[in-house]
Amino acid sequence: MDCIAFYALAAVTLVSAAAVVRLRNVLHSALFLGLSLSGVAGLFASLGADFLFAAQILIYVSGIAVLVLFVVLLAGRHSELHLRQTNKQWLPALAIAGTALWALSRVARPFSGLLAPADGQPTTRVIGGLLMGDYAVPFELISLILIAALIGAIVFTGVEAE
Amino acid sequence: MTLAHYLAVSGLLFCIGLFGALTRRNIIGILMGIELMFNAANLNLAAFNRFLAPAGVAGNVVTLFTMAVAAAEIVVGLALIMAIYRNMNTVYAEDINLLKG
Repeated sequence: MDCIAFYALAAVTLVSAAAVVRLRNVLHSALFLGLSLSGVAGLFASLGADFLFAAQILIYVSGIAVLVLFVVLLAGRHSELHLRQTNKQWLPALAIAGTALWALSRVARPFSGLLAPADGQPTTRVIGGLLMGDYAVPFELISLILIAALIGAIVFTGVEAE
Repeated sequence: MTLAHYLAVSGLLFCIGLFGALTRRNIIGILMGIELMFNAANLNLAAFNRFLAPAGVAGNVVTLFTMAVAAAEIVVGLALIMAIYRNMNTVYAEDINLLKG
């Protein structure tokens, strides 16, 4: 059961990620991005990280993917469907990605046969305690970053008064 | 499921995102590739937390911080894309060459 769930989620994540990268229509790419992020949310759930599962759905699937979709709809043109959407550097890019994959597999090899030691515990309460305790300063800094991003987005997209 | 399964998925996701960020012409496509790479890193953090330190949740907390920073990054990036589109009427990376001599 565990096995089937993992392989199904991994297949959904990776296939839709490949679709994000390869599809010609950017709108379809944005939709598949949402599906891929949902797959990652399912993998979080299979890891027992319940709060991350909820946060992934809230922030990525219903926030970032929808935002990307809006920008695709606002900044897209019909003629783009007939243009090539990738540049000519696919061979070097493939080499770089392959090298990264090889290096990652080398790094990950010592951890290969590790099984999960125990059943997962609910994490939400512990995370809340840590955010108010040990990680209080980074938590406040994150809110500062979010305010800065908010103001920056308004400044960049705002229309100047003529 | 062993840790290697999760590491393989996140490694493949990272490389797919890297390939997309390198080959896409559309800036929005490049941003989507970067989002995939962020997600691969998050998955890695959560997997290591589950398998190597199941008693604590430090990996989950760091993942939450990564998510917040990624959200801020994508908001500013998309705002920049809209500003570029309004001023230069293009979303293709090779057309944005104002600083080219």
